[in-house]
Amino acid sequence: MDAVTTTNVLAAAAAAVERKTLVQDYIRHHVLYHVADGNPSVWNLPFIRVPALDVFRHDEVMLVVALVLLVGIFALLYRRDREVPHGWSNLLELFVLFVRDQIVRPYFHEEDARRIAPVFCSFFFLILTLNLLGLCPLFSAATSNLSVTGALALVTGAFMVGGAIWKKGPLGFLKCFVPPGAPLPLMAILVPVEIISFFSRVFALAIRLFANVLAGHILIFALLSMVVLFGWAAFPVVFMVVGIYFFEIFMAMLQAYIFTLLSAIFISQMAYEGH
Amino acid sequence: MTSLAIASVGAGLVAIGAGIGIGQVWASGLQSMSRQPEMSSKIQTSMFIGAALVEGIALFALVICFLQMS
Repeated sequence: MDAVTTTNVLAAAAAAVERKTLVQDYIRHHVLYHVADGNPSVWNLPFIRVPALDVFRHDEVMLVVALVLLVGIFALLYRRDREVPHGWSNLLELFVLFVRDQIVRPYFHEEDARRIAPVFCSFFFLILTLNLLGLCPLFSAATSNLSVTGALALVTGAFMVGGAIWKKGPLGFLKCFVPPGAPLPLMAILVPVEIISFFSRVFALAIRLFANVLAGHILIFALLSMVVLFGWAAFPVVFMVVGIYFFEIFMAMLQAYIFTLLSAIFISQMAYEGH
Repeated sequence: MTSLAIASVGAGLVAIGAGIGIGQVWASGLQSMSRQPEMSSKIQTSMFIGAALVEGIALFALVICFLQMS
């Protein structure tokens, strides 16, 4: 090869590398933009921007949509006039009884279980609806925002503190952090560890739900960006993305169940036996 | 650019930790389910809970890797 051809080949290769680098940066910005917290465009319509709607963040709109959906389904579709539930009533009772019998009843005594079951039903249905709405085409997941999951975990934390104070009094709540039957030098280490573990349990609830949902969405976006990078050669990626989509649906239900179950365990631990 | 590279390596190490942890949970669960098939549903429930807890810890580290991407 002579010098001109070599120079042309090298220039073409450098341009191709540069083009791929620019495309990678472009995709990275767009992947993060779509799953970012303060993403201003609420409806991810392909070519349409409605600037008037940018006042609302995507998670606020999704919370309102989930609220309207849940209240509408439970108020309008649940019929109490039959003895044996039928249709929508049957389906809703299936989930509510699942939460009450498998999550609340094993950890709380009878009177307390009857009083606190609506809290866990609310947790379960809200998180399930928010996660599943995040998988629908024009919507985004409100639980992929740390503020939303942090608020839910703070509600659990408030119930942990409030439940302990209600059941044992303020002094009993402080005694929760002092495990019995330990010598005094060990207490100086154990009590800060107990306090830290209280906060880390609440924090872990928030982070677990947030990171699971966020990681799923980022994975789907990142795999689909391979189609932008490689064109038609990346067509089999679409099948893999469909598989991951099914896994995301399973993850949505599992994370709702895990959040509710761990909330029940933590609240009953603080209120009853004092950890 | 190099912080993104190191964060990617970190994300791979997180995957190793999560894989080992969840693999041990399910391995012991499968062994106990084969010893006592009548306890299968309880053991399966506990397996899912254990896997979610291990995955929660792995996702702490993954969030830190995400923070390096921005």
